[in-house]
Amino acid sequence: MRDANLAREQWRELLRRRDVFGFGILLPVAIYVLFVGYPVVYTLYLSFCTWDGFSKVVSFVGLSNYTLLFQDPDFWTALGNTILWTIGTLFFSNVVAFVLAVALRSRLVYFGNFLRILFFLPITMSLVATGLMFSFILTPAFGALWTIAQALGFANGPDLLGEPSTALYTLIVVFGWSYIGIPLMLYDAGLTQIPEELYEAARLDGASPLQQMRLVTFPMLRPIFMVVTVLATIEALRAFDLVLVMTRGGPGHASDTLGYFMWVESFHQRHFGYGAAISIVLLVLSSAFSLAYIRRSGRDALGGGG
Amino acid sequence: MSALRGITLPKLLATGALLLFGAIFAYPEFLTIITSLKTQDSVLEAPLALPSQVTFEAYTTTWNVLQYGTLLWNSILYAALGAGFALILAIYPAYTFSRFRFLGARAIFMLLLTTQMLPQETALIPLYDALTKLGLLNTRLGLILIHAAWGMPLQILLLTGFLANQPRELEDAARIDGATERQILRYVVLPLAAPAMAVGFLLNFVGIWKEFIFAITFLNSEAVYPVTIGIMKFSNSRYFTSFTLPAAAVVISQIPLVLLFLLTHRWLARGIYAGAVK
Repeated sequence: MRDANLAREQWRELLRRRDVFGFGILLPVAIYVLFVGYPVVYTLYLSFCTWDGFSKVVSFVGLSNYTLLFQDPDFWTALGNTILWTIGTLFFSNVVAFVLAVALRSRLVYFGNFLRILFFLPITMSLVATGLMFSFILTPAFGALWTIAQALGFANGPDLLGEPSTALYTLIVVFGWSYIGIPLMLYDAGLTQIPEELYEAARLDGASPLQQMRLVTFPMLRPIFMVVTVLATIEALRAFDLVLVMTRGGPGHASDTLGYFMWVESFHQRHFGYGAAISIVLLVLSSAFSLAYIRRSGRDALGGGG
Repeated sequence: MSALRGITLPKLLATGALLLFGAIFAYPEFLTIITSLKTQDSVLEAPLALPSQVTFEAYTTTWNVLQYGTLLWNSILYAALGAGFALILAIYPAYTFSRFRFLGARAIFMLLLTTQMLPQETALIPLYDALTKLGLLNTRLGLILIHAAWGMPLQILLLTGFLANQPRELEDAARIDGATERQILRYVVLPLAAPAMAVGFLLNFVGIWKEFIFAITFLNSEAVYPVTIGIMKFSNSRYFTSFTLPAAAVVISQIPLVLLFLLTHRWLARGIYAGAVK
């Protein structure tokens, strides 16, 4: 009862300050609802309908998009590829980037600052530019990789993007290449905030470098590992740009991802209801990963109250 | 002698290994740059060799073929105005979250965090529909509005995090002197928050500059294409007929962000860290 009164009073206080809570709040809320909130809800509704995108007829068909989807082998290919893409990205973000961050901050390595900037550089490239660059490097017969293979004595170089068995993995490695700077930046910021005294204390207690890693570095970086995992997962789940630029999902459907599959179904095939259902699968997957993180961040940022 | 005393075998091995990895890592970039400085014939003759004679032919051709000036101008418009509007829109909500406690604040805040994590694919179809109905499909204004709406949550989160940790004595003093809430915001809070706002703007700017799926879905004429769509022209085939032109296109597309990154990477790093960990 008291809580309800307090809440009402807080809201009344907010609304009374019209100089702050007039346009300044209404406009963001309106834009947010129009361009973010409503579209997501409408996608959910569309996933129960069929619609060609042109006609005014949006017919409600219940769950049939989903039953069709779960019987569509192309969907399972795209889903499997998206999961592989996520696992590969997590390897780059949680293993490779971490090892690099620790190595570049350790006293064992010279040119640490220079190398760090080198690994950050792909961040300045859009995925379209990255895809374009690797496409011509990997071009059969004339590309750089082919030339290197021939110089090493192979008659023919590899056609990494043209082979169903390698196309997806090639895209994943290229994605890892372009993405690695972000987790590296996060680990680096985290590492510089660990107090040196903790390592000194551990050393005094006779901890080996590996033990210091396990007992000091890992626990101190735990929040960053969590953030990196969530961000990398979400980035991987929405994989689209590289697929469109480098393989268009091919050969066949070998490098289809959910994002690309959804885009083709919606904007090429004009099966908007079906595409919406794919989006919802994507939404469910990414929410599953982000929910734990979001609850924690929300609590931290607003100090538990509210 | 003393300068060399610190050099040990493990250090040399570790540094050597990382330099080798770094060289392989950077090689595609390096190759792209040297390719862009050669003629097509010399690329076919010796793809990996350094240019025997540096030429900027590929740059001028690419610039003209893609109408790169227009592409860059469009990208700057989208990134600057999109991130700018997002920042302006973020100010009042961030101030509210950081200064007032009210029922539902946490729920709304979490909703914003959720949006920040949402795959853009999820909203693509209704946005396409909404833009069509508003007559904003294939217009700069339409894309700018969408970028502003999707950039706003991140900027609200960053700014709220910053404001929540700011001392409030100055604001209280201004309030006692009879300043209105809006004057306090304008003359006390915002000037102090300028660095945080700059970081939010920058992150958002970079994100929009690299953005692809909104642009390729909502735009379909060359006059309004940003760089990311413009350079797609060279990706129509896996079998490239020219290497020098796409190489030059890639290099030009990267220059603005490289400059921005070199000037601001400390800020950007801090911003990414704050946006992710807070």
